[in-house]
Amino acid sequence: MSDDNWPTPLPRPGDDDDPGTEAGVFAVFAPPDDPPAAAPLETDEPSEAAAASATDEPSEAAATSEPDEPSDTGALGAEPSGAGLSVRSGPPAASGVGTALIGDGGADRVVGSRRRIGPLSWIGAVLLGVWLVAMPLTSSVTEMRQNTQIIVMVLAVLGVNIATGYGGMISLGHGVFVAVGAFAAAYAVDDLALPWAISILAGAAFAGVIGALVGLPALRIKGIHLALVTLGLAIVFQPLAKRVPAFSGGVSGRAVGAELVPPSWFGTSRWAEGLYRYLICLAVVALAMWLTHNLINSRPGRAMRAVRDNDTASAVYGVNLVASRVSTFAMSASLAGLAGALGIVLVPFTSQESYPFQESLVLYATAVLGGLGSLWGSVLGVAIREVFSRIGELLGGVSGLGPLGEFLRLLDEEQFVFGVLLVALTFVFPRGLIGLFNRRRDAPAPPSDQNLKRA
Amino acid sequence: MDVVLLLQRIFDALFNSAIYSSLALALVIIFRSTGLLNFAQGEMATFSAYIAFVLLAGAAPGVTGGGLASWIGAPLVTPLAIGGAVVIGIAAGAATERVLIRPLRNAPELALVNVTIGILLALNSLMGQWWGTGPRVFPPFFPSDPGDHFAIAGARLRFSTVGAWLVLFALLTALAMLLRYTRAGLAFRAVSIDPESAALNGIRVGPTLMYGWALAAGLGAIAANMSANSVLLEPTMMVRVLVYAFAAATLGGLDSPKGALVGGVIIGLSQTLIPAYVPFIGFELSVLPALVAMVVVLIVRPAGLFGTQRIERV
Repeated sequence: MSDDNWPTPLPRPGDDDDPGTEAGVFAVFAPPDDPPAAAPLETDEPSEAAAASATDEPSEAAATSEPDEPSDTGALGAEPSGAGLSVRSGPPAASGVGTALIGDGGADRVVGSRRRIGPLSWIGAVLLGVWLVAMPLTSSVTEMRQNTQIIVMVLAVLGVNIATGYGGMISLGHGVFVAVGAFAAAYAVDDLALPWAISILAGAAFAGVIGALVGLPALRIKGIHLALVTLGLAIVFQPLAKRVPAFSGGVSGRAVGAELVPPSWFGTSRWAEGLYRYLICLAVVALAMWLTHNLINSRPGRAMRAVRDNDTASAVYGVNLVASRVSTFAMSASLAGLAGALGIVLVPFTSQESYPFQESLVLYATAVLGGLGSLWGSVLGVAIREVFSRIGELLGGVSGLGPLGEFLRLLDEEQFVFGVLLVALTFVFPRGLIGLFNRRRDAPAPPSDQNLKRA
Repeated sequence: MDVVLLLQRIFDALFNSAIYSSLALALVIIFRSTGLLNFAQGEMATFSAYIAFVLLAGAAPGVTGGGLASWIGAPLVTPLAIGGAVVIGIAAGAATERVLIRPLRNAPELALVNVTIGILLALNSLMGQWWGTGPRVFPPFFPSDPGDHFAIAGARLRFSTVGAWLVLFALLTALAMLLRYTRAGLAFRAVSIDPESAALNGIRVGPTLMYGWALAAGLGAIAANMSANSVLLEPTMMVRVLVYAFAAATLGGLDSPKGALVGGVIIGLSQTLIPAYVPFIGFELSVLPALVAMVVVLIVRPAGLFGTQRIERV
């Protein structure tokens, strides 16, 4: 593993299609560009065409004339690999946390540089679309519920991505916000007898408030120290949750009494019920992703990335650091909370048992594996997680091979696989697997002094 | 307030203090030389304790996980097994630096966080898979029968507490001698201060940092082997301890060995005394005050008690 794997932090002269350093810090001060394109979200009737257009629309608006032909290095053979959109990874102006690892999704729009959907991204988009349509039609009620849970998980991973990839604040504790969102939604729908729509929003909002509180120390605590604090939060969460049984259900967890049932015209079979929940969850996830996409490319989003790349410089240019950091963390937490709230729609039970600190770390690993700083990276991360879990199940089931069998059983351990992948990908694909979809033709230059210094 | 009970609690706390100080010292050694927080330090230590367990228990059925775990097995006496496990832990620490950390010397901070988190997850899961997630009985490092204590003013100061502190002081003395009087120690200090200038002076930075990792892993391994008897051996044994150790290191100043020692004592005492006198906290939540302390120190005085003030260059 040579140093050559590291993305260059600064554009070299002649790197014409590069958003470059200006995009990093000074992006905020570019004149406001066109309102982001509205992607149609016809999730009630997920046809293949609707799914495909929902994935490519935003980038179509962003793409301009000059093609930046992406090479198709490395094909991803995974079947439900759900990355549709190629988001360019422009090298950010590295400082702070060492952001050279983070793709700068959307930054190029600001300086009006080019991007284009590569063939691999098309394949991903089509596969995702086909899967979204075919899945409910071909799977049993249980499978459909499990698959919907996977879709919902995208939000939690996206939450980690917002904090770490876009905000530059390493969060190893996002499982906590998922749990808090689930608890709050369960409390709202059961104890306060609120309707589901409001309860789900309440779950997200409450997680957001907790996230803002956690984000407050992040004003002073940065980089690796914040990673430490959030890891501590993840570790302290379980015993803390046991102390507030009225909210979390204590040691045994809380069952959710209310059920989300479809209107009578939709059908009353268990399959129709499952399909209804699938559609609701899919709609919420798509909506949340669309809103996040727009936010990332709006003024607050540019401020967010500027703060990540160099907080002092952005403060000098008039970015309100307090507002930016706290709102970024709150937003990332509320996405995770939304995932938790949707979780209890699918399985009417929640408990602190489901959120050990390892779960938070796996969420973090998923975000990193997919690709930080890219919305579709989070989708890809979840898809990869699912693929590996299937492979693990398959291999783990083989018996009677002695030590080899024991090793294969390890592959069924999600934590083990993600731990190893996290280490391996740091060497092989420092920017996450989404890098496969938009790899640049020119070989990255060796690192400059800019990211030599860490801490 | 019951004075004897208070004294007793302090004595009990001192054992934990020694453990936290050792692990905090391990964290400080690595942070000081590389600016990296090794999140996997706790799991690496636990792994070494499991190695000792395997060396002790051998291949006895029902004791180890069998398979991969059992072929190493050969029953040994306790000191030899623990010694062997510490040596293996040291070698593993050095290997980790060489294979996983050194290639990333030019990489951003995030890459190193990813690698240490990856090691944490993988080791934690590996131990659970090989040896089971349930707690295991681990032989005592020091005489720990009910009668093995000094009676001071009606309170019991256990031999294990005294022993842990003796071990810690012996390690500290050895470490100080090593840093002060040996070439390798001099090289280590030079690299800690400025790796580039050290390299220009002919010091081989990579191997020097590898010694640092080996030292840290050894300290962690000893801490884990000393405490595995009292907290029972399980894969997540050092997870909470790691939070305490991080809190101790932060409190004392992340680049100060003296700070690690003092921080370990303070955190150890508060971890025992706060739950005893604040009912809401209780034993299980005793990690909360440590986390709060860590956050407060990082906000108010990031350098901790004895650490170097960091000045940021714009």
